[in-house]
Amino acid sequence: MHFPMNNEKILNDLEEIVGKDFASNREEELFIYSLDPGASLPRVVDFVVMPKSVEEVQKIVKLANKEGIPIVPMGGGLTLSGLVLPVHGGIVLDMKRMDNIIEINEMSKYALIEAGVTTGHLLSYLNENYPNLQPPVPDAPSAATVAGNVLIHGSGYLSQKYGDHGSMINGLEVVLPNGDICKVGSCALSDYWFTRGPIPDLIGLFTSSFGTLGIVTKLSVKLFHKPKFRDVVFGLATDFEDIPNILSKVTESGLAEDVLLGMQDKPDWMKGYIFVIVYVTGESEDEIDTNAKVLKKIYRKTNARYMKTPPRIREIYMEKPIFAATAADFRKGGGFEYVGAFLPIENLPKAFKGGAEISKRHGIIPTIGSRLIGQSHSAMAFFSYSFNRADPDDMKNAREALHETNLLALELGGIPWKAELAGQKLILDKMDPNYKKLFKTIRDTLDPNHIMNPGNWEVE
Amino acid sequence: MTVQTEKDWKDIIHRCFRCGYCKFTHDYSDFNCPSYKKFRFETYSTGGRLWLAFGVINGDIEWSEGVANVLYACPTCGNCMENCRFDKFNFMLVDFIEAARAEANRQGFCPENQKFLLERTTNENYFNPYAEENSDNEELKKQYNLPDEAEWVYFIGCTSNYRQKDLRDATLRFLKKAGINFTLIDEHCCTSPLLRTGQLSPVTEFMNYNLQKIKEVGASKVITSCAGCYRTLKNDFAKHDAEHDLEIIHTSELIIQLLKEKKLKFTSEFNKTVTYHDPCHLGRHSGLYEEPREVYKQIPGLELVEMKRNRENAWCCGAGGGVKIGYPDWSIEISKERLEEAKETGATIVSSTCPFCRTNLSDANKAFNMGFEVLDLVEIIDQLDYEINE
Repeated sequence: MHFPMNNEKILNDLEEIVGKDFASNREEELFIYSLDPGASLPRVVDFVVMPKSVEEVQKIVKLANKEGIPIVPMGGGLTLSGLVLPVHGGIVLDMKRMDNIIEINEMSKYALIEAGVTTGHLLSYLNENYPNLQPPVPDAPSAATVAGNVLIHGSGYLSQKYGDHGSMINGLEVVLPNGDICKVGSCALSDYWFTRGPIPDLIGLFTSSFGTLGIVTKLSVKLFHKPKFRDVVFGLATDFEDIPNILSKVTESGLAEDVLLGMQDKPDWMKGYIFVIVYVTGESEDEIDTNAKVLKKIYRKTNARYMKTPPRIREIYMEKPIFAATAADFRKGGGFEYVGAFLPIENLPKAFKGGAEISKRHGIIPTIGSRLIGQSHSAMAFFSYSFNRADPDDMKNAREALHETNLLALELGGIPWKAELAGQKLILDKMDPNYKKLFKTIRDTLDPNHIMNPGNWEVE
Repeated sequence: MTVQTEKDWKDIIHRCFRCGYCKFTHDYSDFNCPSYKKFRFETYSTGGRLWLAFGVINGDIEWSEGVANVLYACPTCGNCMENCRFDKFNFMLVDFIEAARAEANRQGFCPENQKFLLERTTNENYFNPYAEENSDNEELKKQYNLPDEAEWVYFIGCTSNYRQKDLRDATLRFLKKAGINFTLIDEHCCTSPLLRTGQLSPVTEFMNYNLQKIKEVGASKVITSCAGCYRTLKNDFAKHDAEHDLEIIHTSELIIQLLKEKKLKFTSEFNKTVTYHDPCHLGRHSGLYEEPREVYKQIPGLELVEMKRNRENAWCCGAGGGVKIGYPDWSIEISKERLEEAKETGATIVSSTCPFCRTNLSDANKAFNMGFEVLDLVEIIDQLDYEINE
């Protein structure tokens, strides 16, 4: 389905709102918005618009409602699962001109920012001006926006200790589908954007709903104390079955700021090992050393062993954010996509085994890993498939591997994260009918004209 | 490796993942891609341009004036090469853009303003992109009593010879006083403006002409005070079938060498605060960051202060890549941002080592009443007393 529209009139209206330079229907400017860095097929975009203020977003939403045009908000466009490619054409709302860091509250430890602020910019700003504070940073390139990350239940740095990044949202300013500007969280009644409650918590409506219920224009995210010292302590395991116990013991020690698992068959020296990567922090080097010793002991007691970290590897893992996109060039093809699935940690062994089998079946070198979330309450397991962007068959192969992995994750009681359209359908197929009914009721109420990223989370 | 054919593109260009590192400074504190910072649509980042070029090659989008405009709206400053994390091909990113422009030109979509560069440069009365009557430099040779044959050639470059004559003359005076055995040739454009704008048809001929002229005077070394000529002579000639074994030297390299060898000694002071603007062609494209700085630091009385973005992170002046002629207003806007950054340092002088940067920074300085003195390093030295010891 593609919505009929009078392109020139709508462009004029959009230009009226944001200015001539920031609304376009020119093919050369739309082209890249029709493509995704992941394995999704291209989709049609009719307009790209870059608003500068919440009032402009409000006017655009009202216009979209009046004209019945789909509208898709976009941050960094780096989910890799095509979430910002319009399913039914329409407007891509590129939010990156809304890039103000409005307030850093040192005492209550939060950052109030506009939705287009990149993770790199916030990190850099804090490093320079508030070196004792650190933000949640995803394992994504620094061009990812903070809003984009937290609104998809992102994970990354600090997830082990403090939970997924979605849980770090204190408050949101949202333009609802009817154009109303709504504040949720403490900011609904206080000048302090410091907490979600204790009022009915509506922030969840806007996380992982992929812009179907509103467009977030402003947000407060939690910041955290940054210890003076930080280091990484590597462990090596060889048996998948040992993973849950290792993770439990590591988190029970209370020493791990973050925990990653990694497994890949190339280069050859990595094959056969599961790498346990634990970040420890402290206020002194002695504290780091002491913590590292405890971890080494834990590795020994859990059938793993400590690995002395080569400086080159240490450098890679100490960088914040880590350069995870390196997978895009594994096959000299410029592309990769992964299933990230939230899983119970007891099922990680089956997930790793199953993921490796899927990779091999599709002729792709297994690249699997996991990031622990919330002190082993869950793990985000990722199954990465590199492909050659210049080869449509290779991209199709990757999509098939992703689909099989989504099925595996669901079989293991997990939930695919930031799922692409096919993955969303699998999730909905398995979902409690009344959950779906509730979601549909909310969506139909808020967005009766169905203009907000239609095609995503479609309950039939 | 060169990136001149469609095959080269097809083999590599799709490997850009479009992660966006190319837009930033090293520490992500700011967008450092002038084009993305101005236009903001994703297509104006290097990743966007590469994906667009790949789309054209793949037949997903057709050539058009609009596509060409995206490709040309970039000063090819090389910030993307510094910040792209894919080290198997990041050093080729500007080559990709230039190759895509060459393809746009072949397809008949070179923008009108940039076409002037080719028309003027190939005009037999000019041989330079400024449409100035060609100087065979014989008058200068007489004026400075230069020989017909010499070990060194001072390759003046079109911008110095036709737009920044003070810089040219300061260089001539310095070389003369330093006792360098040099001469001048009847030079034609080094072809940098043509390479940057994808107008390659006369390039090899021009390069070989200049090489022949250099050979005729028996020189083995070429010195230039132009960052653009330096990069072209040093890096680009070989890519275009104009190989040579000449030693290519930027004036800043010679000056620091003389200082290190204690052959040059400054005997007066320059009591001013100076900030140094890294020319993209000298810095990111050629790796010369410290040589000019070492010279400034050795000038008595001169206080060198750094702008926030410097060396690999320097903000471009906005003149290069055909932007000055193609987008004159935007070009000086870019320089204005540089001068605003310079203001934060407390400097009264903005200095560079490239006549094209000097031109654009001066134009912005004037247009926006920024109140700086804009000088090339050689012009500062020209104001000093110094001794040369053999």
